[in-house]
Amino acid sequence: MAEERTPILSAKDVEVKFRVRDRYLTAIRGVSLDLYEGETFAIVGESASGKSVFTKTFTGMLESNGEITNGSVMFHGQDLTKLKTDKDWEGIRGAKISTVFQDPMTSLNPIRTIGSQITEVIEKHQKVSKAEAKEQAINIMERVGIVNAANRFDEYPFQYSGGMRQRIVIAIALSCHPEILICDEPTTALDVTIQAQIIGLIRDLQKELKFTTIYITHDLGVVANVADRVGVMYGGQIVEYGTVEEIFFEPQHPYTWALLSSLPQLGVKGQELSFITGTPPSLFNQIKGDAFAPRNPHALKIDFEQEPPFFKVSDTHYAKTWLLDPRAPKLEKPEVIQDLHKKIEKMTGKGGAFHVE
Amino acid sequence: MSNNEDREVILSIKHVDISFDTGNKKKKFVAVKDANFDIYKGETFALVGESGSGKTTLGRAILRINPCSAGEIIFEGKRISGKISREEDRNVVRNIQMIFQDPAASLNERATIEYCVSEGLLNFHLYKDEADRIAKVDKALTDVGLLPEHKSRYPHEFSGGQRQRVGIARAMIMDPKFIVADEPISALDVSIRAQVLNLMNKLKAEKHLTYLFIAHDLSVVRFIADRIAVIHLGEIVEIADSETLFKYPLHPYTVSLLSAVPMPDPIVERTRRHKVYDPSVLDNSGAPRQMYEIRPGHFVYATEKERAQYEEKALAAEQAQGEA
Amino acid sequence: MEEKSLMEDVKTEERSDLFEFAAFDEHESEHIAAPQYSYWKSVWRTFIKNKFTVAVSIVMIILVLFSLIQPMLSGYSPLIAPHVNEPEMRFLQPSAEHIFGTDNLGNEVWDAVWAGARNSIIISFVCTAITMVIGVVVGAIWGFSKKMDKWMLEVYNVVSNVPFLLLAMILSYVLGAGMGSLIFVMCVTEWIFVAFFIRTQVMIIRDREYNLASKCLGTSTWTMIKNNILPYLISVIMTYVSRQIPALISYEVFLSYMGLGLGVTKASLGRMISIYTSYMNGYPHLFWIPVIVLAILSISLYIVGQRLADAADPRTHM
Repeated sequence: MAEERTPILSAKDVEVKFRVRDRYLTAIRGVSLDLYEGETFAIVGESASGKSVFTKTFTGMLESNGEITNGSVMFHGQDLTKLKTDKDWEGIRGAKISTVFQDPMTSLNPIRTIGSQITEVIEKHQKVSKAEAKEQAINIMERVGIVNAANRFDEYPFQYSGGMRQRIVIAIALSCHPEILICDEPTTALDVTIQAQIIGLIRDLQKELKFTTIYITHDLGVVANVADRVGVMYGGQIVEYGTVEEIFFEPQHPYTWALLSSLPQLGVKGQELSFITGTPPSLFNQIKGDAFAPRNPHALKIDFEQEPPFFKVSDTHYAKTWLLDPRAPKLEKPEVIQDLHKKIEKMTGKGGAFHVE
Repeated sequence: MSNNEDREVILSIKHVDISFDTGNKKKKFVAVKDANFDIYKGETFALVGESGSGKTTLGRAILRINPCSAGEIIFEGKRISGKISREEDRNVVRNIQMIFQDPAASLNERATIEYCVSEGLLNFHLYKDEADRIAKVDKALTDVGLLPEHKSRYPHEFSGGQRQRVGIARAMIMDPKFIVADEPISALDVSIRAQVLNLMNKLKAEKHLTYLFIAHDLSVVRFIADRIAVIHLGEIVEIADSETLFKYPLHPYTVSLLSAVPMPDPIVERTRRHKVYDPSVLDNSGAPRQMYEIRPGHFVYATEKERAQYEEKALAAEQAQGEA
Repeated sequence: MEEKSLMEDVKTEERSDLFEFAAFDEHESEHIAAPQYSYWKSVWRTFIKNKFTVAVSIVMIILVLFSLIQPMLSGYSPLIAPHVNEPEMRFLQPSAEHIFGTDNLGNEVWDAVWAGARNSIIISFVCTAITMVIGVVVGAIWGFSKKMDKWMLEVYNVVSNVPFLLLAMILSYVLGAGMGSLIFVMCVTEWIFVAFFIRTQVMIIRDREYNLASKCLGTSTWTMIKNNILPYLISVIMTYVSRQIPALISYEVFLSYMGLGLGVTKASLGRMISIYTSYMNGYPHLFWIPVIVLAILSISLYIVGQRLADAADPRTHM
């Protein structure tokens, strides 16, 4: 579906290493990604899968002990991995590519008014007068759903609720009309009802302002709601990617199976929920074969020996698992996630547990 | 549903208010208002609410960490809130244990797992000799799927899921009757949450425990709870058994919480809309609210006027169900 | 995301069993592969990893041991001046025979300096031990008890506002000069500053969740201080000690310099500096030698203490 379009951002074989005391940790182990204009690409993974680190390379925000050791990130004909100083990044970070982080309190300065924090960004990137910046700021505050924005312009972050603060962070991120918005777990610190509102807001704004979104989350439930395409990350690599329907209804990688199966929404009372045993691999070590193999009940012997390549499932769907090799035994995905759509339809339909009038 | 009368009540919360001093002497911050419910022996009772709803405050009041400013808490027929004797206090500690939200913060990082797990045993001298203590620690660790060899390790050497299981082992070794589990899985990675839930269910069956399970997310609770209470801004707005609450949610806040659960299905999600909770649909005339039992075992916090609406809604839902 | 050409780069040795399922053991993943962690061993390993730290430690140990042993061999006492009637022995420059030269009374500066350093070290170590023990115990209880906090703060306010020098003058006048009374003077108010510091530290970690968990398990306050609070404070206490020892050395020197410290019967770096100041023009080495010894001693003690404190912080044990 997306093959004819040219990507707006293209990452190729990105490798990121962190120096921790005397040792090197390979956080990203050769990840490639083409991002197409206007889409929402969701990156799902557990903590330490590298999902956040990977997107930080798009804005040059790696921690100081981190380094891109291989690969390229092309954006408007420019290789972002070659940019070093803050001056190089000017005009890209916060302007063309913006980020919304998990905790709104750490992104906002507690001792400055909400208004001044938005206008600062506008003035910095757009070279407009103070009055004009203020007008734009109030405008964007209204857009993200702040009622009575003009009056709340001079309030401080502590006077806002958690959900409202996250709206402001989104307002700041969008104030310079970025082409790409990176949402790094924007709702993890928020309550479920607020989460639903923020997700809805991002979706509506995207339709209106036509930016491209990268949505990072550990929650597959959220992915189903926001994404057009999905990449599943594990152990510093994308192990499967495809359209959102393909990932939910035709998953191929045992890790994607396991992630989907462990969702509590699919639990049946009186029966055990499925889960993944063990812990993610230590990225300090050299990883041999498939990183997921030690936790994978369906692992083949070759998974411990050799890293699988990406196998093509469809034009848009690829998975990095030996199970797709013609020599591998045929394996059906776990029972819990078979006929997923039917199951969920039943749950949300009339008389189902999650049916809402 | 209605056989609740003949079940044994293990803990009852009777019209409990909990308030905190603010900087201002005249103003008190009321975290929990008029909480009133019973928990039956052997059930998992879930308390669901968002941050600031007072759910943790109420859970901690049961453990005597937060004092009640009105009402009382009765455990096995004895009052455990307010001033009680030292002996009674020790009794509460032995019988009511807690599982904490953040396994990283709730374990003493400078103590070995052996000490963490046997802390309660040491305090009450619940062992014959050293060998017996070690045997008990080993048993507690194996019960939660850890290995006896972990005894000499420190908490920071474990993953989040393993640490949470240490926290569970530490509570279980006391052989409690009642456990307050305060969001035991929300700090964990999605893939291992299910493991901890399974473990809690297994231990409950083996040891005949009763759980108060505090959560912010209805999707988790559906799987584990027998009955659910929904709490919003310090008020318990609805109590029902798990199936009923999901099938016939009456209070608009419950409906909003339910609609906010994201479903793992992109096609369904495209049409599903989140219902934002709008308090203006309530009866805002200032009439007093109380708990009404709309159907047996199904309580809603309402005014007289709202009660009539909920009755109608329940009836309509039942008819619709009958047709289908 | 380019599709890697299928199969081509898959150079599997022709092993027929590669595509069979591997055995799966659920318990396998629970093992911890890392070697056993031991707190004190890790502290030691971190401490000796830095070469500079090791070098400074050696300097410090030599200085301290030398100060403690040398005076026993030389038998130096400020009351005995064997060469007082030999003018040719006065004010000799440092040489192979007289390492630090001689002073106005013809005494060996070498012997005097080490005897003085020895007294400084003994006094500061004893005072540090006394103030730290009292301060940590009182501070730990102070930090835990809200009742005690109210009146202890008042005591602290009063004590910290008493001019120390005035107090020292009165006390040394009443108690007379001597090592015992000097130690008393230096400890009498100092412990409360340690206690206040510890109180603040305790209050920071008192309400952490693991302490709440201990409370829920019925752990007594005292056990909690011992097992939950103090182990977390090892590093900050160590930092405090590393500042306290050099500070108290300077204190002793300062008091002796002012004539309030050790009496004329005891060797003291402070009094040496005070006396030798008058020979600054003709014989500056008399002044500089005790000052430099004092500085090297203080700085090496401070650095070793700081490095130990760093090593005691488990965040550095990777």
